[in-house]
Amino acid sequence: MTTLAWKDTLKKVKEIIDKAPIGYCLDYEIPAEKSMKEALITVTGKTFVAKAKISKITPYKNEKNILKKKKDKLKTLVMIEKIEEIQDDIVNYEEVNGESIDKILSFAILTRKEEAKIELREPMEGKLSGEVKSVLRQVEKEGNSLPIKIAEQLANAKKQYNIGEKDFDKLLKVTVEKYKETEVDPFEAVGIVGAQSIGEPGTQMTMRTFHFAGVAEMDVTLGLPRLIEIVDARKTPSTPSMTIYLSEKAKGDEDRAVGLARSIEATTLLDIADIEVNTTEGFVLIMLDKQKMQERGLKREEILPKLKKIRMQKTTITEEENEIKLSLDEPSFKKIYQLYESLKTFQVKGLDGIRRAIVKFDQKAKEWVLYTQGSNLAGVLELKDVDFARTKTNDIIEISQVLGVEAAREAIIEESTSTLHNAGLNTDIRHLMLVADMMTFSGTVEAIGRHGISGKKASVLARAAFEITSKHLLNAGLIGEVDRLNGVAENIIVGQPITLGTGAVKLAYRREE
Amino acid sequence: MKVEISKGIEELKFALLSPEEIRRMSSVKVITPDTYDDDGYPIEKGLMDPSMGVIEPGLKCKTCGGKVDQCPGHFGHIELAMPVVHIGFIKEIYSILSSTCSNCGRIKLPEEKLKEYFLRIQDTNNRLSDIEYDDIVSEVESDASEVVICPHCHFENQKVALDKPTTFREEGKKLTPKEIRERFEKIQKDDLPLIGLDPKVARPEWMILTVFPVPPVNVRPTITLETGERSEDDLTHKLVDVIRINQRLRENRDQGSPQLIIEDLWDLLQYHVTTYFDNQTPGTPPARHRSGRSLKTLVQRLKGKEGRFRSNLSGKRVNFSARTVISPEPFLSINQVGVPAKAARELTVTETVTQHNFEKLKELIKNGPGKEEEVYRPGVNYVYRADGSRIKISDKNASEVAEKMELGWQVERQLEDGDIVLFNRQPSLHRMSMMAHEVKVLPYRTFRFNLAVCAPYNADFDGDEMNLHVLQSQEARAEAEILMKVQENFLSPRFGGPIMGAIHDHITALFLLTYRNPLIPLEAGLHIMSYVNVSHTPEPVEIDGKKYFRGRDIFSLILPEGVNLEFRGKLGDKSLDPNGTEGTIRIEDSKLVNGAIDENAIGQSKGALLDYVLRKYGNAEGAKFLDNLTRLAAGAISYTGFSTGIDDEDVPGEAKAQLREVGNESVQKVEKLIENYKAGLIGMEPGKTLEDTLESMVMKVLSQAREKSSEIASHYLGMDNSTVIMARSGARANMMNLAQMAGIIGQQSIRGQRQHRGYTNRTLPHFEKGDIGAYARGFVSSSYKEGLNPTEYFFHATGGREGLVDIAVRTSRSGYMQRRLINALEDLKVSEDGRVLDTENSVIQLEYGEDGTDPSRSFEGESVNVNYLIKEMFGNKYGGKK
Repeated sequence: MTTLAWKDTLKKVKEIIDKAPIGYCLDYEIPAEKSMKEALITVTGKTFVAKAKISKITPYKNEKNILKKKKDKLKTLVMIEKIEEIQDDIVNYEEVNGESIDKILSFAILTRKEEAKIELREPMEGKLSGEVKSVLRQVEKEGNSLPIKIAEQLANAKKQYNIGEKDFDKLLKVTVEKYKETEVDPFEAVGIVGAQSIGEPGTQMTMRTFHFAGVAEMDVTLGLPRLIEIVDARKTPSTPSMTIYLSEKAKGDEDRAVGLARSIEATTLLDIADIEVNTTEGFVLIMLDKQKMQERGLKREEILPKLKKIRMQKTTITEEENEIKLSLDEPSFKKIYQLYESLKTFQVKGLDGIRRAIVKFDQKAKEWVLYTQGSNLAGVLELKDVDFARTKTNDIIEISQVLGVEAAREAIIEESTSTLHNAGLNTDIRHLMLVADMMTFSGTVEAIGRHGISGKKASVLARAAFEITSKHLLNAGLIGEVDRLNGVAENIIVGQPITLGTGAVKLAYRREE
Repeated sequence: MKVEISKGIEELKFALLSPEEIRRMSSVKVITPDTYDDDGYPIEKGLMDPSMGVIEPGLKCKTCGGKVDQCPGHFGHIELAMPVVHIGFIKEIYSILSSTCSNCGRIKLPEEKLKEYFLRIQDTNNRLSDIEYDDIVSEVESDASEVVICPHCHFENQKVALDKPTTFREEGKKLTPKEIRERFEKIQKDDLPLIGLDPKVARPEWMILTVFPVPPVNVRPTITLETGERSEDDLTHKLVDVIRINQRLRENRDQGSPQLIIEDLWDLLQYHVTTYFDNQTPGTPPARHRSGRSLKTLVQRLKGKEGRFRSNLSGKRVNFSARTVISPEPFLSINQVGVPAKAARELTVTETVTQHNFEKLKELIKNGPGKEEEVYRPGVNYVYRADGSRIKISDKNASEVAEKMELGWQVERQLEDGDIVLFNRQPSLHRMSMMAHEVKVLPYRTFRFNLAVCAPYNADFDGDEMNLHVLQSQEARAEAEILMKVQENFLSPRFGGPIMGAIHDHITALFLLTYRNPLIPLEAGLHIMSYVNVSHTPEPVEIDGKKYFRGRDIFSLILPEGVNLEFRGKLGDKSLDPNGTEGTIRIEDSKLVNGAIDENAIGQSKGALLDYVLRKYGNAEGAKFLDNLTRLAAGAISYTGFSTGIDDEDVPGEAKAQLREVGNESVQKVEKLIENYKAGLIGMEPGKTLEDTLESMVMKVLSQAREKSSEIASHYLGMDNSTVIMARSGARANMMNLAQMAGIIGQQSIRGQRQHRGYTNRTLPHFEKGDIGAYARGFVSSSYKEGLNPTEYFFHATGGREGLVDIAVRTSRSGYMQRRLINALEDLKVSEDGRVLDTENSVIQLEYGEDGTDPSRSFEGESVNVNYLIKEMFGNKYGGKK
């Protein structure tokens, strides 16, 4: 179904809402053959603020009781039957001819984009075995609950040790009791405990980066620097890398794995050829290195058509055995160097950012796995033969862009767990989950530090006490900020009990007369 | 009784001071740039005018009449001859200048658009988001600053440029602060929210100063040196400058001096006012003291680690605290701390006299302030009468005051055994860095505690100092005892296991006591047992008419009733344990039936036995077990005696030959590899260059050398060797350390590579250029015992230095990371319904940790350990041995 959309002022929108149903005159011509029952109005051009049901679209005629968008040059009259305020993003629509839009300048005829099918993740229960389900049901009957993991353990134990029903009931009861005992206390300062639990082992970590899986050249940042990188939410990690798993069909095939590795390695012209500039005659000579080309799995024929894509005006390409000559029709010193520069970094094949890919055989899983230096998740996931469900990268920001913030949260948890684990340190996953949640709960990945969470705290005093003291105080004065003293740092500053733990509750004592 | 009304601060509102308000709150108009006259009296209307508060004891404030500790200080003010801009608001002034019309003072956007923005602001105000508001303000600014012709008055505006730090220019012409102020005065109140100001608290023209507040004198006290010389505070110095230039400016202006001179003075005034606020403004040379030290002005006072916020507001100095060197005391319980009598006499607890403690306090007062004596008896330092007046207790008036004591008096009594105190060691990296202990007053001058508590504090006794804080209220004491006591912190919230446990000689001692179940002569056994409080002695065995105790029987004494446990100890290695039984530790019905007690049984953070006792019997019992354990260990080792020396690393001649052989062989292997490499016989490993391949092969060979030497060393050094005992039991060191002492130290590396930097193509002039053999790249084939040759010594030092640098870098980096983490997460708490919320009640997690389990109550991370439960409930009925 097509939809009419136009840009208007907020004032007009309010007016229409007030007076609907009413006729509204627009200053555009709307093709009559399109049947439209719906209209969307935007104010900013980026988001729709109102949705109207329209009954009729006719060429403009001055009538009584109609609203006009402008005073003159009106062309169409739209009968608005019903109108309601909405919030919808323009990104969800595309123009009728299929072109996507990102901003409405005046008016447009749109269709709603076909949405990617979002399937609800199968609830955990569906995946559970009958035994586990029955354990959970039994627990629920008494109004209690158990984590699924524990229920699984119980079910397994029951099966493995052949525990009798009576004993199992007893066991279940005790388990539930024990589980209740481990519950966190209300007002527990879980944040501080979490931060300490991650920070404290930091002093025991090493600063060094290690070679990865015995492959030199492929350094992977580990230890403290990596941990800092994770909480910093750095745009790109210092050593981005991917682990690419292959699909069921391809994972046992070395040739396919190697082929894939070669095809994703970003290869620039300089990697496979020497480039010479001849300024006197005004040409650039590309001398292909056969051996290097073979290593990278490239053929001469493949390179030529790609070279033609290079955006340089008026070049003549002549080729000999292993040489390609690019000569400018109008040689100029500057242009020839421009050409040379762009040729140097010209990517002949592969994915952006992936500098190197290495194939290794995983003895345990009996499959070929690709390890890369550099990361390009979006590109890799689209490749054939790649198992996109298992493939991963250590670039958290990239994950959040490609797969969403929930995936980024998982990535933060996993990356930090494995960093700590590699250093031989034992830290409860709950602390890492809390950090990950704190970094992602706003919907984007935010850094721990003054540019992220700490800089966005509600309290002026807390911000001033952390970093950039004077700026926060002065700005607070300008906008008349109010510090409601809800947090820890603020209350310590003014000398009051903090709002956590025993400070969060008030105790009144009535003396017996 | 006095009823205390407690007041709290609910919220703080920030605002700008208007000139009127500055004048209104001022107690004096300061006009003289001087402080004191020749007689040392503050000059009237000078910078030290007594109306601004008092700093000398005895004097009274002219404004409020209060004395030093009563008068809060009062502001004064300076009337500036010409207005100057406030350096902190330069950016805002600039953006307002560029987005408003210089003629009519409106924002240079059409009415319609302004309305639109207003609606958006109101919208976001409801949802409370300062960030969104900031975004709108900057959007308005960028929109409006591009407009040239004002849509309201059609005036053609010119572009304003900011010439840092404080000069504004319009088309090259200088805009004086006065002109800016005039423009700002025209800005309508309704427009203010769109330029980022709250009309209720701020006006744009207030960012241009016409009146200058002078802070109270107690903010900038005069320091009198011992020599009688007076020294003024940095702020006072700066204020002197401001007043002096201000005066000259006024005079010149009034006399009608040339514009040039006035402008120069005006700029100078601007400079002084700027540096008064912030002496580190970029583009401005910092104002300096005569000595060349730059002055600490307002921003410097607040900023950074030593600034007001972090140094005085977020952390405060406290009374009732002590600090001294720590030392070990195995006879104290883990819950106790030994406090030197000298400190105990200074540290006091204030108690109110009630019917219940009347007699006790009376006795205490009679003790007086106490004197040095064999047995410590707590006394009283001060007594407060009901009316608040203080009596100092001396030996003379002690009994007199004791008799007079009444209900409701307050008594500052000295520390006594059993008082609850907090004990802390910096860096306080986790909550176990500050725990509550019971006081035990001891002679000498150090704080003392049980060795098991070293781990949570990360303390050792090489000169470490620790702090102690005496709690002053009943609530605090109750809270500390329930939440912070050492025994309540057995399980670390980091990983849900015990972090305290036996260390070093405790492990050695109990290992020796139980390894192969030794026979211990009756008397020695009784001596050992005398260290612990036991109700009975085990049945002795009789051999050749002599009576003996078995070591394991003695150990079993300290086990609580009903312990049934089996686990693997560290002695898995059959070579040390011919029968192969010592590695399995089995306790049946609280009797150690088999195995040697080692690190895996009682060590910190991995002791299975300790863990079991804690979980099964609770913290109190766990503390008792650990207390007994440390005492028993002290007893056991004082019977055996235990020492290690360099002769522990003596190996027989044949071993030495073998070791030398290993060293030479590896060096030769490396030579061979290099030959092959030079001949081009080495194939490349995937993903590596030829050089890398060689390096990794060489490294492999050399690390094998060390492993082999370790094997040889452990073969010749047996369980009769102290070092081996320590390594095997997990008390200290490992077999590799031993091998390094007796055999080969091994490759010294930098950044995981063999040493390769130094001179051209060689590491040291002792080698030939291009030599990449084992010795030339930092292989050390000597042992610590033999000693290193000079090149080896050098490489060893290089490697050692990397370690030191690493530690230095790491501590600062991880410290900052932790500070950031804490700052980001400090406000999170669990709500009553189990969710995790922040200060604005945003939900961070719906259920803490996805299962609501507190890690410090978990079973190494798991909320319930089903297998453990099955074993506990049904014994060996199900599953049996695992």
